[in-house]
Amino acid sequence: MNADQVRAHIDPIRHEYAEARSLILPALKFAQTEKGHLTREDLEAVGEATGFSAAYVESVASFYDRLYLAPTGARVVSVCVTLSCMLRGADEVWDHLCEREGVSHHGGTSEDGRITIQEAQCLGYCDRAPCIQADAEETKGPFTPGSAAAFVDALRAAPDPHEFWR
Amino acid sequence: MPILNSVYRHREAGHVLTELVAYRAAGGFAAIEQSIGEMEPDDLLYVFHRSGLRGRGGAGFPMGRKASFLPKDAKLAKYVVCNADESEPGTFKDREIIEMNPFQLIEGMVLAGYAIGADRGYIYIRGEYEHQARVLDAALIAAREAGFLGDNILRSDFSYDITLYRGAGAYICGEETGLLESLEGKRGQPRLKPPFPAVAGLYSSPTLINNVETLSALPPIVTQGADWYAALGPEKSPGTKIFSVSGHVQRPGNYEVVLGETTLRELIYEHAGGLREGHQVKAVWVGGSSVPVLGAMHLDTPLDYESLNAAGTFLGSGGCIVMDDSGCIVRATLRLASFYRHESCGKCTPCREGTNWMERILQRMVDGEGRMEDLELLESLFGRISGKVLCALADGAVAPVASAIKMFREDFVAAVTDGGTPRPAPMSVVEVR
Ligand SMILES: Cc1cc2nc3c(=O)[nH]c(=O)nc-3n(C[C@H](O)[C@H](O)[C@H](O)COP(=O)(O)O)c2cc1C
Ligand code: SF4
Repeated sequence: MNADQVRAHIDPIRHEYAEARSLILPALKFAQTEKGHLTREDLEAVGEATGFSAAYVESVASFYDRLYLAPTGARVVSVCVTLSCMLRGADEVWDHLCEREGVSHHGGTSEDGRITIQEAQCLGYCDRAPCIQADAEETKGPFTPGSAAAFVDALRAAPDPHEFWR
Repeated sequence: MPILNSVYRHREAGHVLTELVAYRAAGGFAAIEQSIGEMEPDDLLYVFHRSGLRGRGGAGFPMGRKASFLPKDAKLAKYVVCNADESEPGTFKDREIIEMNPFQLIEGMVLAGYAIGADRGYIYIRGEYEHQARVLDAALIAAREAGFLGDNILRSDFSYDITLYRGAGAYICGEETGLLESLEGKRGQPRLKPPFPAVAGLYSSPTLINNVETLSALPPIVTQGADWYAALGPEKSPGTKIFSVSGHVQRPGNYEVVLGETTLRELIYEHAGGLREGHQVKAVWVGGSSVPVLGAMHLDTPLDYESLNAAGTFLGSGGCIVMDDSGCIVRATLRLASFYRHESCGKCTPCREGTNWMERILQRMVDGEGRMEDLELLESLFGRISGKVLCALADGAVAPVASAIKMFREDFVAAVTDGGTPRPAPMSVVEVR
């Protein structure tokens, strides 16, 4: 993404903030919608559009779990492993998905590049534990290992979204 | 015992209130009409104060008192910030407010803004709630079009708008000063306090920060009166509180109850459907995970701030996680320790290193590599973390570990002598809905 595209997104909301620095996070999230992660060019574009250095922008971006500074799979699948989900079988879901996607028990990206599996801390869907989130847009549950695998298969087969909100 | 859906107006109405007309038909915006341009801001502030409403985000500070700390100087820019970061394990009550009844939050934020003379409001929503953020986006547009937000609200002199700000995945951005840092476009690391946000908050301006549920409680307080609210439940901390119940219960979900009139047993067994046949309560984290754990002997504790304090814990966020006797307390405690290790922002050494050590020691106990001295080692860590850091995350990390070792010591000892703890079978789930 280039600085003009970022500017087009943040100029209409500039007046909502007393300091331009507040635009960095909205700009980063918007820049990420293009490829699903942030490249050096993206960081530079956000820096240029907001008036901060790319190094500063990167220092902000690196703080947040849901801003990705390296490529991910086409879809990011977050499996909640916090206590409420654990009590309802999150570990069994996690183990099964990691095995099926051929990634280590720390998570990772499947060989076909379609799916990144990652552990998530409490997603706020404990009433549907164990829950899984596809990017940041869709959270569902409760899952069994089998239904979780079917959910991931459906994501793998589905066309990618126009914008990646993760 | 009884449910009282005051914040959860959509439950009272029997359908979602995501359309402005539906919210109006359910009595919505009456509080704005009654107060904006009709009441002196100070009088509205006094209504909040007299209601006795306490913060519902975790710390339980009286809402009206906090609002009254903001300087009255009309020349200063002032802000209302709504904390919609909802990341405390086991807590999902704000999600339902936003998904089902977003206008009540917006109305509450307008009331709070008018009372303190705010220039603008911000809702800081966790990045993982993208779906909920879109519901709020639409609700904000509708409220603006109907004249409840923007210039000269309901043709009064009061102009005020709300900006929705999306987070990007960090529990610590729920801590109020971490949130402010994030909203200012920085890494979300907490600030040294004082100064408190009421004096120097967003952009160093006076800022009122409240949780979604706290702000959503305001409209009914205005329409039904502070006296009505203050008469609900215990004198010191009246009102309704939403408990999110999860874990080993048959009907996980949100339940809004009058404080002090429901016991923990009733919450679990009557509202949340009880446990599976043949199982007993082993452990309950009643106020999210950052609180001391309770056991079966505490089930008759009434759910209110004072009674829970007397039982040795906190009401916290109301995220009530229930584990039955099929669960393993050592593994559960480890899972929470891992959460805090992951979410420590790293600014203070005792928290960064301490959360790491708590996790490592508990992990080796679970793995069968624990040593008897590990219990004392763990206990020696608590005092070296608590009180030596910038924010309450560290105390929240210590509380579930310290309390579990105290209450269930024999389980931790057994983990060492038996060579670890096997992974128990989880409660099976019904298929995806
Ligand atoms: C580590 C940490 C995380 C927190 N997370 C949240 C949160 O997700 N939502 C929230 O409303 N308050 C959270 N709080 C409490 C806030 O700091 C603050 O007390 C609260 O937003 C004030 O609003 P209230 O008075 O209406 O409760 C957290 C506190 C700490 C220390
Ligand atoms: S106590 Fe922990 S989370 Fe809080 S500021 Fe210090 S390091 Fe960060």
